[in-house]
Amino acid sequence: MRIIVHNDKCQGHARCWAQAPDVFKLDDDGYILRGDIEVAERDELLATRGARSCPERALEIDRAFDALLDRFLFNQACGGFNT
Amino acid sequence: MSKPVPDHVPPEMVRDFSLFTSPGMGPTPNGDPHAAVACAHDAPPIFYSPNNTRDGRGTWVITRAKDQRRVLHDTATFSSHRSIFASALGENWPMIPLELDPPAHGVFRSLLNPLLSPKRVIVLEPAIRERAVALIDGISAASTSCDVMKDFAFPFAVSIFLSFIGLPDERLDTFVGWGKDLLHGEGIKRTAAARTIVAFIDDLAAMRRKEPADDFMTFVVEAKVDGRLLTDEEVRGIGVLVFVAGLDTVATAIGFDLAYLARNPKDQQLLRREPDRIVLAAEELLRAYSTVQMIRVAKKDIDFEGAPIRKGDYISCATMIANRDPAEFANPNTIDLAREDNRHTAFAYGPHRCLGSHLARREIVIGLEEWLSRIPDFRIKEDTAPITYGGHVFGIENLILAWS
Repeated sequence: MRIIVHNDKCQGHARCWAQAPDVFKLDDDGYILRGDIEVAERDELLATRGARSCPERALEIDRAFDALLDRFLFNQACGGFNT
Repeated sequence: MSKPVPDHVPPEMVRDFSLFTSPGMGPTPNGDPHAAVACAHDAPPIFYSPNNTRDGRGTWVITRAKDQRRVLHDTATFSSHRSIFASALGENWPMIPLELDPPAHGVFRSLLNPLLSPKRVIVLEPAIRERAVALIDGISAASTSCDVMKDFAFPFAVSIFLSFIGLPDERLDTFVGWGKDLLHGEGIKRTAAARTIVAFIDDLAAMRRKEPADDFMTFVVEAKVDGRLLTDEEVRGIGVLVFVAGLDTVATAIGFDLAYLARNPKDQQLLRREPDRIVLAAEELLRAYSTVQMIRVAKKDIDFEGAPIRKGDYISCATMIANRDPAEFANPNTIDLAREDNRHTAFAYGPHRCLGSHLARREIVIGLEEWLSRIPDFRIKEDTAPITYGGHVFGIENLILAWS
């Protein structure tokens, strides 16, 4: 899972950080750092909660990436890249 | 004393609704002003209230959370500069950063953000907890009942605020009195309180200029923006805002929360048994019992979701209304302490998101944690009735709790 961060929308509520401090990192002002976030599978539940608690809708959950990754891993496991 | 409805407001958009004068907004024994204003969602999403400020001005009322977000984000159209404090003195200067619009707003916001950031609040936490424990232990040693606002909520919130700006606790009652007169007093009392607070902030700033200390006011008088020191008016604008914002909001939130738990023993037991739930529960209580109405002033004409808003019109974004919006929250009038995805607006949306929100949240959570772990099953004391009121900032007083 990937989280698309819309920094221009972040107003420093820090609700994401409250739910998942290891996933969502803040700067010294309390606003989210720049850049999208790749979420490890074990953090997905908390990261999803964090993203959904943003009052400004600054965090977008991107699962399209998961499907791509799954296909890639499947192909790789089947030796798909060699054929 | 409401002013006539302006000609550009279509008569069918006018509603008899006011946070000041509608039923349940005056002092009400056992009142529930938040439930009372939730009825705004039975009206069209935007309407005009002819009398919706302390001084009897009309405002547009934005009821939907999504529309409030749009208003609060669009600072180019909807200004927050209205000198709400200074106008009580017949003056015109902004409380900073609240009443500045971008880009000036951002300069001061960046200056103050680190002082109240989530990381900074973690550092303050032990002192906050110590204060809560001392007050509650004092209460529980002395009696099996207390006036929560007088004995706990106000002394707790105000003493943390005082130590934050660098003042001793001994003048606590004086400050609470000023705050009461300012926020809830009428006419002369209110103006006198405003004058006293301004003089006090000006004096404190002068003192810290002469003799710096390790506190907030010293930081402000020594701070630089755009390579220069702050002007006296800017220092005053910041000082007054912190004073006004810190005085009664957290205390009121704790009051409404404890009143709810006193009346809902099952939820009280749940949080007592599983204190890990308090953080999430506090968010739901913030949603259900938010206390602030934000006002914006239109800088230009705009047709907004069918409302012909004209330059100079006031626009009300009441947090307590948006937080009961059924389009945003399933069963908005049900309090569900386990509610997830709770994107409430107790601290507003947009660039003016409450600067003190992280501190306020910690104070509320710590207040509830320590109260629940030190005071046994509590209830509203028999033959007493808490009094609630609406207005610019909602409130509760005479909250007498008892336990065995």
